[in-house]
This record gives sequence, structure tokens and C-alpha cells, in this order.
Amino acid sequence: MAGGEVNAVKSSRDRIETVAYTLPCLALVVLTIYLPFALSGYYSLTKWNGIARDPVFIGLGNFAALLHGDGSFVRALVFTGEYAALSMVALNVGALAIAVALAKELKSRNVLRSLFFVPYILSMTIVGFIWQFIFSKGFEDLYRVTGLAFLKLSWLGDVRIVFYSVVLVGVWQAVGFYVVLYIAGLQSIPTEILEAAVVDGANGPTKFFRVTLPMLSSSIVTCVLLSMINSLKVFDTILALTKGGPAGSTYSATLEIYREAFQNNNYGLGSAKSLVFFLIVLTLTVFVLRAFRGRENAR
Amino acid sequence: MSGIARRRRLGLIALETVMVIAALLYIYPIFLMFINSLKPFGEVVSDVIALPKAVTLQNYVDVVDRMRYFQLFSNNVIITAIGVTGIVALASLAAYVLERRRTRYAKLAYLVIITPMLIPFQTFMITLLKVMTVAHLSGSTWGLGIQYWGFGVPMAVFIYFNFMNTIPRELDESALMDGATTFRCFRSIIFPMLKTITTTVVVLDVMWIWNDFLLPLLMVNGRPETKTLVLSAYTFVGQFNTQWHYAMTAMVLTVLPSIVIFVALQRNIVQGVVAGAIKG
Repeated sequence: MAGGEVNAVKSSRDRIETVAYTLPCLALVVLTIYLPFALSGYYSLTKWNGIARDPVFIGLGNFAALLHGDGSFVRALVFTGEYAALSMVALNVGALAIAVALAKELKSRNVLRSLFFVPYILSMTIVGFIWQFIFSKGFEDLYRVTGLAFLKLSWLGDVRIVFYSVVLVGVWQAVGFYVVLYIAGLQSIPTEILEAAVVDGANGPTKFFRVTLPMLSSSIVTCVLLSMINSLKVFDTILALTKGGPAGSTYSATLEIYREAFQNNNYGLGSAKSLVFFLIVLTLTVFVLRAFRGRENAR
Repeated sequence: MSGIARRRRLGLIALETVMVIAALLYIYPIFLMFINSLKPFGEVVSDVIALPKAVTLQNYVDVVDRMRYFQLFSNNVIITAIGVTGIVALASLAAYVLERRRTRYAKLAYLVIITPMLIPFQTFMITLLKVMTVAHLSGSTWGLGIQYWGFGVPMAVFIYFNFMNTIPRELDESALMDGATTFRCFRSIIFPMLKTITTTVVVLDVMWIWNDFLLPLLMVNGRPETKTLVLSAYTFVGQFNTQWHYAMTAMVLTVLPSIVIFVALQRNIVQGVVAGAIKG
């Protein structure tokens, strides 16, 4: 029975090791994520300015205030939704077009791929500043030289235009990332399948929509999902570019949460806003995943 | 046949021309930032798009001094080094035992560790500041580095866990038979085999921590001694937003390390980003 005893010792040692080697990760995740997350659930039910020792429990008061208050949160959510929708379309269509071109046998394709990727490695804060400079000083001088009318628009000052300026900057920063993902997807399509389609008489567009695009479906799911989540969380670029202005028209949900908590010192209300935002992001993520899975099954 | 081949070649040349022009227009804003950092104030004001009449590095001398660039740079290095080292060490070891021991505890622990990938940082940042202040992890570069362990571990464990599947179990089992401890087996057999995926994790985490803005803004914005590069650039450009020559220089100095690293490690970075996105 010595063998059994050795095994028993070994398995209890195994168990201790499993716990010991995973405990640091578990403890860190609990300390930095779960605990603050749970606390923000609690504080969303209180009135708390962050300084007073005791938050006052007010039940669902904060959530009622979100609906009946000054509407700033709803406006920020609408802005964020529109921003994410347009960014997703622009990022995915743009990245796919660039990727298709750069997957062809161009002499300079490696250099071109790198050039499109460069903005993605820059800090988003600096990207916001670069474009603040381009929209004001840069466009002014380019207009003087070229006379192109669109350069004279008030890109950051006009409430109707600034939405597109903000989207443009977000897309400019991130498109290279999705180009790289789509190129990887395109390269994994076996050439025989594309050649077979040509033999069967498929022309350029038919080949692209009937063969290439369906073969890319897993890349498309990844890119659509990532572009949605990242656009919903937009913060740095907008803070550097417009600070939420003009007239509060570019406040994203995350910027609004930040302002409520750290500038207005309404920690309770801010926590309520972050909880609602979390539920929206989670729901949309699940929805998109379901939608894609449904289509996969239907085929 | 040769007619078709020629038309195809001409088509490629046309496409190449269009793409080269598009790419140059695409990075033109970055180019403008660079050339304007090399001009004196007067030239920036009078003409942004012109090349500098005479290249001057005076802006750089001034800004390096006023921003306390070297202090910031070393803060960034400390924070990134602490963060990435901890994430790689803790996540790879945890992923190893979690993948090899499929007990009920291991399955639950794995879920608990990777689920935070779905929770946006901004949804708990308010209370995070409170918790980190109580835990004495806010207000210092090392504390911030440690905080990144918590935020980086979920994705790193997820990536390592999936990669661990591809390493044959026989390898570590035979070593364990020979009497090696689990840790020893991990360190001398498994970890070296994780090299490619470790590169991916390092690349993703360095890019993230080096450029991160919101967490440093919450945690180390109080004193100039603890600020990060991006954080300082944010304040600096805000203060000098009419003195564009200084603003541009501060911006170039902030992104320069990223660009240098990108040029040197281009292949690894692009591959790492693809691997990370597909796995994550």
C-alpha cells in the first residue's frame, strides 16, 4: 500500500501547488477588478461625494436621476452609440479595402502595411493632439495653398461637423490594426479555392462577395466585435481633441462617467452611470456574438 | 494571353500608385508634427506645411529640460518593466497548472481569472481609486506597475492557456517522473517552449502600458516625480497649446520611443498583435 500512500501525498501536494501557483493571479484580479466592481455596485445605490466618510443609502435614486435628470448621460450614450456605429462601419469597410489591395503582389506592400500601422502604435492622447493641430493650423494653411473648400470648415467648432471629425480621428488611429487582421485572414484563404472560382467563370466582384468574403467570416467576427467594444470605450482621443466640446456635443459615455465622478464629485451617480454603461456593453457584445453565430448555423 | 498579362500588370501598377499616394496622405499628419518640431515659433505660426528653413534642435533642448524628459522616461521604463515582468511570470505559471490540472478548482479559478476581459475598465475606475489608495498602491511608480499585474493577467492567462494545449503533456510528465518539482519542470522545460507566445504577450503589454493614459491619470498624476510620459505630455501640451513649436516637440518626444521600438521589432509587433487579437 506504499504506492497508494505516495500517490495520496503526491495528490495533496498537487492540490496545494495548484492553489499556490494560481493564488497570486486570483488575488490580484480580485483586488484590482472584482472588489472595485462590487463596490461600485454598492455605491451606485448611495449618495456619496467621495470625501464624506459615510455614503448615504438612497436606493435606486441615482438610476431614477439618470432618466429624469439633465439628460447629459442619455445624450452621452446616444453620442457613443452613433460614434461606435459609424466607426465600426468605417473601420471594417476601410480596413477590408486596404487589406485587399495590400494582399496583392505590390512591390511596396511591406512598406505600405507598416505605414498604415504606424498610428496604431502611437498614444491615443497624442493622436488627439496631432489632429487638433491639423484641424486648426494644418487645414488653415492647406486651404491657403490648395483652395479646397472643405479645409475651411470649422472641424472642431461646429456642432454638426465635430462628430465626423472625432470619428475620423478614431478611425485614422485604429484602421491599421484591422488591416493587419484582415490581411492575415486573406492569406489563410487557400489559393486553389480562388482559382477554382475563376475557372468557374466568376469575375472580380462575384469572386470577392461569393468566395472571399464568406471565407473571411471568422476575421470579420473578430474585427466587428473588437471595433465595437473599443469604439464604445473611446476616451483618450476625445479628451485630447475636444474635451467633450463644443457645447458638450462630444461627451462619450466614459468621459461622462469620468466627469461625473472626478469633476462633479458625484461618486454615487457616477457609479450608477458606469453600471448602466457596463450592462449596455455586455448586452451588445452578447447580441453581436449571437447574431454571428446564428448566421453561421443558418449556412 | 500576353495581352491579359500586360493588362494585369498595368492594373497592379495603377493600384500600387494609388496605394502609395494614399499611404503618404495617411501619415502626413505625423510628418507635419515632425517638421514643425524642428522649426522656431515664428515659422510654425507663419507656415505649417513648409519645410523648416534651417533645421533647429533648440525646441528639443528646451522641452527636454522643461518636461523633465529623462525623469519621465525612466518612470515609464520602471512602470512598464514591473508591469510586464509580473504579468508574464504570474500568468504563465498560473496558466500552466490550470491547463495541466483539470480539477474543479482549476476550472473555476480559470473562469474567475479570465472573465474580467469582459469588464470595461471605466466601469469600476471610480472605486478602484479608493481601493488602491487604501492598499497603498496609488501615488507611486512601483504601485502602478503592480496594479498592471491585475489588469494584464486575465488576457495573458487566456493566451498562455490556449497555447499550452499545443505543448505535449509527455514532456513535463516524464520530467516529473524523474523527480523534478512542478516549479522546476515549469521553469526549465515549459517556460522556454513558450517563447513565441511570451513575445506576443510582452509586445501587447508593453504597447498598452507604455501608452496608457487613464490609469496613470487616476493614480500618479499628483506629483511630478511619479508622472508618465503621456500624462506629462497631456499637461504640457495643454499649457503650451498656443506655443505650437513646444507642443509639437513634446508630442514627438512622447511617441519617439514607440516609433523606434516599432521600426526595430516590426515583425514581432505585427505578428504579436495578430496572435493576440485572434486568441483574445
